[in-house]
Amino acid sequence: MNHPFDRQDVDVAWCPGCGNFGILQLIKEVLDELQADRRSTVIVSGIGQAAKTPYYIDVNMFGVLHGRALPVATALKAANPELMVIAEGGDGDMYGEGGNHFLHAIRRNVDIVHIVHNNMVYGLTKGQASPTSQKGFTTKVQVDGVGSEPFNPLAVALALKAGFVSRVNIGNAVHAKEVLKAAFLHPGYSLVDIFQPCVTFNKTNTYQWFKENTYVLDGSYDPTDIGAAMNKALETASMPLGILYRNISSTFEQRIRRGATEPLYSIKHDTAQIQGLFEGY
Amino acid sequence: MTLNELKRYNGRNGMSAYVAYKGTVYDVTQSPFWKEGNHQGQHNAGADLTIMMAGAPHGDEVFAKMPVVATLEEEPLLQQSDASAATPLKERLQIWYKKYHPHPMTVHFPIALHMFSAGLDLFFLASPKVPYAVGVFYTFFVATVMGFVAMIAGVLSWWINYNLSTRRPFVVKLIVATLTLLLGVVGIALYLENPGIVYEASLEGITYHAIILFTGMSVIVLGYYGGKITWGDLSQYDTKTVVSETEEPLSAAAGKLPAAGTYEVPFSSAATMAPVKEVRYEVKEGGIGRPNTISILIGGAAGAGIDTLENLLCDAFKRSGYYLFSTKEYMSRVRGGSNTVLIRISDTPLEAPCWEVDLFIAMDALALEHAKERCTSKTIIVADQTFAQMETNSRAIPMKETAQKLGNVHYANTYVAGVAFGLLGIEPQPLIQSVAEHFKEDTANAAAVNEGCQAGGKLERSTLPALPKADRERSEKLHLMDGTTASGFGFLSGGCNFVASYPMSPSTGVLNFMASMSKQFTIAVEQSEDEIASLHMVLGAWYAGARALTTTSGGGFALMGEALSLSGMTETPAVIYLAQRPGPATGLPTRSEQGDLNLALHSGHGPFPRLILAPGSLRECIDLGYLAFELADRYQLPVIILSDQYLADSIAMIGDVDFSAYEQRRYIVRTDKEYRRYADTQEGISPRGVPGFGEGLVCADGHEHDERGQITEDYRKRIQMASKRARKETGLIAQAVAPYTYGEGSIAVIGWGSTRGAIAEALQQLDDPRLVQIHFAWVHPLNPEHLLFLKKYTHVIVVENNADGAFADRLQHYGIVVESRVLQYNGFSFFADQLSAMISERIKELS
Ligand SMILES: Cc1ncc(C[n+]2csc(CCOP(=O)(O)OP(=O)(O)O)c2C)c(N)n1
Ligand code: SF4
Repeated sequence: MNHPFDRQDVDVAWCPGCGNFGILQLIKEVLDELQADRRSTVIVSGIGQAAKTPYYIDVNMFGVLHGRALPVATALKAANPELMVIAEGGDGDMYGEGGNHFLHAIRRNVDIVHIVHNNMVYGLTKGQASPTSQKGFTTKVQVDGVGSEPFNPLAVALALKAGFVSRVNIGNAVHAKEVLKAAFLHPGYSLVDIFQPCVTFNKTNTYQWFKENTYVLDGSYDPTDIGAAMNKALETASMPLGILYRNISSTFEQRIRRGATEPLYSIKHDTAQIQGLFEGY
Repeated sequence: MTLNELKRYNGRNGMSAYVAYKGTVYDVTQSPFWKEGNHQGQHNAGADLTIMMAGAPHGDEVFAKMPVVATLEEEPLLQQSDASAATPLKERLQIWYKKYHPHPMTVHFPIALHMFSAGLDLFFLASPKVPYAVGVFYTFFVATVMGFVAMIAGVLSWWINYNLSTRRPFVVKLIVATLTLLLGVVGIALYLENPGIVYEASLEGITYHAIILFTGMSVIVLGYYGGKITWGDLSQYDTKTVVSETEEPLSAAAGKLPAAGTYEVPFSSAATMAPVKEVRYEVKEGGIGRPNTISILIGGAAGAGIDTLENLLCDAFKRSGYYLFSTKEYMSRVRGGSNTVLIRISDTPLEAPCWEVDLFIAMDALALEHAKERCTSKTIIVADQTFAQMETNSRAIPMKETAQKLGNVHYANTYVAGVAFGLLGIEPQPLIQSVAEHFKEDTANAAAVNEGCQAGGKLERSTLPALPKADRERSEKLHLMDGTTASGFGFLSGGCNFVASYPMSPSTGVLNFMASMSKQFTIAVEQSEDEIASLHMVLGAWYAGARALTTTSGGGFALMGEALSLSGMTETPAVIYLAQRPGPATGLPTRSEQGDLNLALHSGHGPFPRLILAPGSLRECIDLGYLAFELADRYQLPVIILSDQYLADSIAMIGDVDFSAYEQRRYIVRTDKEYRRYADTQEGISPRGVPGFGEGLVCADGHEHDERGQITEDYRKRIQMASKRARKETGLIAQAVAPYTYGEGSIAVIGWGSTRGAIAEALQQLDDPRLVQIHFAWVHPLNPEHLLFLKKYTHVIVVENNADGAFADRLQHYGIVVESRVLQYNGFSFFADQLSAMISERIKELS
C-alpha cells in the first residue's frame, strides 16, 4: 500500500522481519499525522542499516558518514531554523562512532529529533557487538562474549540534562508512535531510543526479549523529575519505555542566531559596512 | 573459586569447562551441549551464567545433572563497597522474580477472598444465617493471611523492580495494603473474642461488618493500581498528556512542525555565469633596488608588555610616515619564555623579517643573552643600566629607575618607546599622540615618553643606518593589520556567515575575528567539540545554504580528512582556513612552517577535486579569502586556504581595498518538483538547491548515488558520477590565477604562500638582474599552461619553508626541472637577509 511519504523506485535493503520496517512505517505515519511539510523536512543520517531509513522516506535527505549525522544536523538547523531536522542512525553510529557528538548535541539543545535504532548489534558490518550490546553477547569478534558494560544512552542524556529523553520498543508501535509524536513537537533536542530487533544478527535481543524485558511507564510517572528519571534510566532488569524526562530551555539555533530564523542563504553582508571597518585599521 | 580463576576453565586447549550459576561452579566438560567450552554458539565456559539464564529457553534443572566443583567467591582484591556488593543479590532476586512472579501469583488470593467475604457478608446482613457468618469469617481469615504473603512479595518487587519508587501508585498501594492487613487483624481478633458480635448492632458488631465490607473494596483499589504498575498506562500519551507539554492537543498540533518561509537568494547566479572579475596580484609598489630600512628588535618576558610596546610603536611609526612591518616570535632555544618583537621601518613597502637588526632593546637580562646572535658589531644594544654590558655598542639607560620614579614598572614600556624615537631622531609628536590615545587617563605615560626621548636623543648612534624617508600623506592612506585580520576581511567579503571551529594555534585568531564580527554581521559562530565536528558542521551549514568556514591547523585538519572526502562526494562546498605550524604531531606549536601542503593535497579518501590557495601578502589574504567562498560555491568543492603562523601573526601595511568589487553571489537555484541534486551537466556542475527553497527535495548522499541523490551500486552510474565530479576540475583550472612574476632574468626563484615577501626582499638585496621572482598563491590545481613559461629559465630554484620540498615535487610532477631547493624547517619563516645569502650560495653552485 502506498503511503504519502513513500519514496518511489527504491530497493529496500533490509532483511525480512527486521525491526527497521516498523520504524520506517512509524516515522512516515508521524510525519503524515503531524502534517509535516516535506520540503521543510530534512533527515540527516549516518551509516548503517538504520541509517538507510531516510532513503525510503520522501523528504529532503543528507546521507553523511558513519557517526556524523549530529554535527551536520546541528549546523543545518542553525543555518535554517525553519526546517524540521531529524538525525537518524543506529546505536553503533550514534553512541559508538558518534559518541562525542552525542554528548555535545545534547549540551547544545539543538531543536532536532534524534532517532536511534537500538538493536544492540552492528547490523551492516554483519553482527559485531555495539556499545549497547548486553554483557555476555558473543559474536565473531567478541568470541568470549561482551565484557564491557553496555552504554546507557538514557542515563547519559539525563546526566547532560537533555530536554527530551525517551525510549520505545518498536514491538509496541502504538506506544512508540505517541512518544515519537511528542518528540517531534518538543522544542529542543529530543532523544528517541528505539528498541529494534535485528532478526539476522541478534538472536538474543528478539521481539520476545524486548517485550519481556520492558514495561511502559504509567500515567502517574512524572517526567519532569530528573532524579526519578535517572532512577528509571538505570533500571536494567526490566527497562522502562516512554518519556523519561522533559524540560524546555533555550535552543542552540536561538542562541547562535540571536533569535533570528531567516535562512542563512538569504543573508549577505553589507560591503559598505565591511569597508567602514577596514578603514578603521 | 573466584570469577577470575573461573575464566581459565574455558574448555579450550585441554582445559576443563566450568560455568557458574547462582554461586555454584559446575563442570560441563563432559556435557554434549558444551563442545570446546561453547554452548549453542552463544555462551562460553569460564563465565558466570546466572544473568544469561534469564534468557535461556530452559530452566536451571539442567545444572542438576552437572558435577559441582566449587562455589563462586567474591574477587578478593576487588572488595566492593556495600552498595555494589548488594547489587548481585538484587540482580539474582530480579531473575528469580521474573521467573516466578511471586506477587501477581499470590496477590489474587486475598483480592478474591476479601471480595467474596464482603459479598457473603451482604447476604448475611440481608438474612443472618449461621453458615453465612461462619463462611464470611473463614474466607476473611484466609484472605488476611494470604494478604501478608502478597504484601511481602509486593514489597520485594517494589524494591527489586521499582527501586522503592515513591510514585503515587506505589504510595497508595502501600498505605491501602497496610490498612487492609491491620483491619484484617482487628476483624479476626473481634470475631475470636466473641463470635456472637456478628448478630449484634453493638460497636464491635458494626465495626466487624464495616471492616469486612471495607476490605472487600480496598482490595479493588490495590488491584487497580497493581495493574497500572504492571501494564502501564497506554493512555498516558493520549491527547491529555501531550496537551500539558505542548499546550495544545495533538490533533491541533498537526501542521505545527517547522515549515520554511519564502525568501529570496541575494544575487542568485548560475554556475554558467562569467567568472568574477579576475583576481590579479597587486603589482609591487615603490622603487626597485635596496630599500632603506631600520630594524628594531625588542626582547622581553611574555606578559611584561612587549605586545603593548609593539602596538604603540607600530601606530607611532605609521603616524610618522613610514612603511612598516612587524612580527613576533618565540625563540626555540629560549628557556624561560623570552619573546621578541621585530619592527622594521622603511621607505618602500616590505613584508618580511630580517635576522640581523640595527637596534636591539632588551627589557631584561635574559632577553639580552638570547637575542645576541642577531646583533652585529654595528647593532646598538639598549639595556637597563642594571644589566647592560660594557661593550662598545651597548647603551645603558635608567629604564627601571625612571619607571619607579613615575610610580609603576609598566611605564618602562612607554619610556623605552620614547628612547627608541629619541635614539632614531624621529620627532616624538606622533608617539605622544599614540600614547595619549592608548592610555587615555594615565598621563604619566606621556611623561615617560618625554623622558625616554630625551635620554634616547643623548645616546651615541653613529652606527645606525640613515633614517628612511618618511611621508605622512602616503602612510595615512595605508592600513596596518596582521595576516589574521586580512584573512578575516577576505572571508567577510566572501559572505561567510557560519563558522565552526575547534581552537588551535595559529588559526585561532581568525576564529576570534569572525566571532567579534558576529556582533555586527549575521554570522553564526560555534566552537565545536572537535575538528571532526567542525567540518561536518560546515557541510551541514552549506547544505542548508550558508557560507561556512572552519579554521584549524595541521593536527586538526588531519581529523577533517573524512569530512573533506564527504564534501567531495556530496559536492557540498566547504572553506577551510588551515594555518600551518611545524609538525609532525604537536611539533612546534607557536612557530611557523609550510609543512602541510602534501596533507592538504592528499587528505581525504578517494579522488575528488579540491582547490588550494596560499596567500603571500595581506592583499592576497583578502582576495583569496573572498575567492575561496566564490569558487567553493561555484564548483561545489572544498577549498583550503593555506596560511601559517608567520603570515597570520605578522603585521604589515596594505593600501586601499574596494570591497564593493567583491561581488556577492550565491550559486543556489530555486528547485522545482522534478529537481535532481546531481543532474549530469557538461561542466559537471549540477545546479545546487537547498532544502526549503523551491518545490523540490534536496537529497545529498555520501554513498555513490544517482542523479536524484539516491544510493546506488550500478557501475554505470558510478562511472557517470565519478566523471561528472572530475569534470569540475577542468573548469576550475581554467580559472586558475597565474603565478606572479617579477624580473626579466634567466634564473627563476620560485616560492608559494607566505614566502612572497621574504623572496622579494632577498632578490632586492641581491640586486642581480639574472634573478626572477615567481610566486604561486593558487597552488592546486595548477594550470599546465601557466607553467610553460618556466621552461625558458636556465635554472629553477624553489624556496620553501619546509623539509620535504612538497611544492618543488609538485612542479616536477608537471615536468618542470627543479635544480635547487632552498628549504628551511627550523621553525622560523625565512629572514630576508639570510635568504639572500642562501640564494646567492645556490647561484654560485649553479653557475
Ligand atoms: C569510519 C567508519 N568506520 C566503520 C564503518 C563501517 N560500519 C558501517 S555501519 C557500522 C555499524 C553499524 O551498526 P549500527 O550503527 O548499530 O547500525 P545497524 O546497521 O545495526 O542499524 C560500521 C562499523 C564505516 N562505515 N565508517
Ligand atoms: S541485519 Fe539486522 S538490522 Fe540489518 S536489516 Fe537485517 S535484521 Fe535489520
